[in-house]
Amino acid sequence: MTAPLRFDHVPLGRHASHPFSLEIPAHHTVAVLGDEDSGLGLLGSYALGLDRPVAGRALAFDTDVASLPGPERLAFRRRIGYLPAGDGLLQNLSLRDNVALPLRFGSGASPKEIEGRVNVMLTAVRLANVGALRPAQANEEERRRAALARAIAFDPALLVLEQPFDGLTARVASELLELARGGESAEGARRTIFITGQEIPPLLLRRVEQVYRLTRAGLLEPETV
Amino acid sequence: MRAATQLTAAGRAVALRIGVNQVRFTALHAVGLVTLLSGILSFLVISQATRELGRIGATDLIGTLMVVAIVRELGPLITALVVVGRSGTAIAAELATNQVLGEVRALEAMGIDPKQYLVLPRFAGSLVSMFALLVVFDLVAILAGYAATSLNGMSGGRYFDIVLTSLRARDVWLTVLKALAFGIIVGVVPSYFGLAVRRAPTEIPIAASRAVVAAIVGIFLCSALFVALG
Repeated sequence: MTAPLRFDHVPLGRHASHPFSLEIPAHHTVAVLGDEDSGLGLLGSYALGLDRPVAGRALAFDTDVASLPGPERLAFRRRIGYLPAGDGLLQNLSLRDNVALPLRFGSGASPKEIEGRVNVMLTAVRLANVGALRPAQANEEERRRAALARAIAFDPALLVLEQPFDGLTARVASELLELARGGESAEGARRTIFITGQEIPPLLLRRVEQVYRLTRAGLLEPETV
Repeated sequence: MRAATQLTAAGRAVALRIGVNQVRFTALHAVGLVTLLSGILSFLVISQATRELGRIGATDLIGTLMVVAIVRELGPLITALVVVGRSGTAIAAELATNQVLGEVRALEAMGIDPKQYLVLPRFAGSLVSMFALLVVFDLVAILAGYAATSLNGMSGGRYFDIVLTSLRARDVWLTVLKALAFGIIVGVVPSYFGLAVRRAPTEIPIAASRAVVAAIVGIFLCSALFVALG
């Protein structure tokens, strides 16, 4: 089975002398950790085709998303869940409407079906009672829960999470990771998850199959616990 | 237009809600200002004109003055300036903030076209608002002209008679076309400058300022083009 996400010789940081290459196997949770100036923050946008690497390629489901024509590119991105650094929630929408937004624009479902799905999502991420809050009124944990619910709105097979656990307790981070994995299958987690960030709570390491640290030189070293 | 046709039913409902909010802010909240400007402008111009033209027995020209100068030329121009000043800045600043906060990128990552979600409803709202406010401006201008001529001894019947005699179908079409053209400028230019911002919050006021200046220049050039072609 081909890897749902693959980076081939993608140059990252200004100081990196080695291009970045990595395959994220299906049903695995893989984390790449590193400093901010390692260029790690570019990986998510390369995976979704939001930016195009100057060399090499990033392939999601064997597709270079950035090279797709506009409408196809947008449609393809719905196959990939994305939790951007800083959550990316729309400030003028409630948490509930933030979760509903991709479904309203990207699915042919009726408003009733969408409402039902959003109710299920909000309950799953424990936001049912605070769904009416705007992001500025919610705390960091609630915002992160809403951003995760939005990322898995289409039940994607691949999830890209940028700094998903920063500022959260290990317990909440662990809970969110379980939600992101979407349960277990015979091969491992139901979803393939690619995490980038500076650190990951030690409690989570047993749920992450591969953890790497990206050096400033662009080398990928297995993280030792 | 293509963005509009690609919307799902639920997406259309969201876009419609944003568009209605845009109309409420752009048109409804500006009715007072447009009424005030239109009323004062028309009253002053027609009041002075009635006195001066009365001396040479040419009060019939008040109709032409009202239709050509106020309804056809100044009406669309002043209405567009009001809309740009109030809503053009707001649209540019709002979209620039969306950009700086990473919301535009988040929309793209979710598979949502920012043009569908952010630009299209504001564009449609600006267009509708421009039409609505222009109707308000012209109606108030005609009524203020009536008040001005009444105070200067002209009967209401004669005033409305010379205004309606001066009004031709071409004037109506030109006014409607101007509203359409100015509405497009007001909807598109601030959106463009707002989304052109990259990541720095300091770019937001610059974008708003540039958007207003560019839209005003566009409106004046467009107005001149109408005169040149008309």
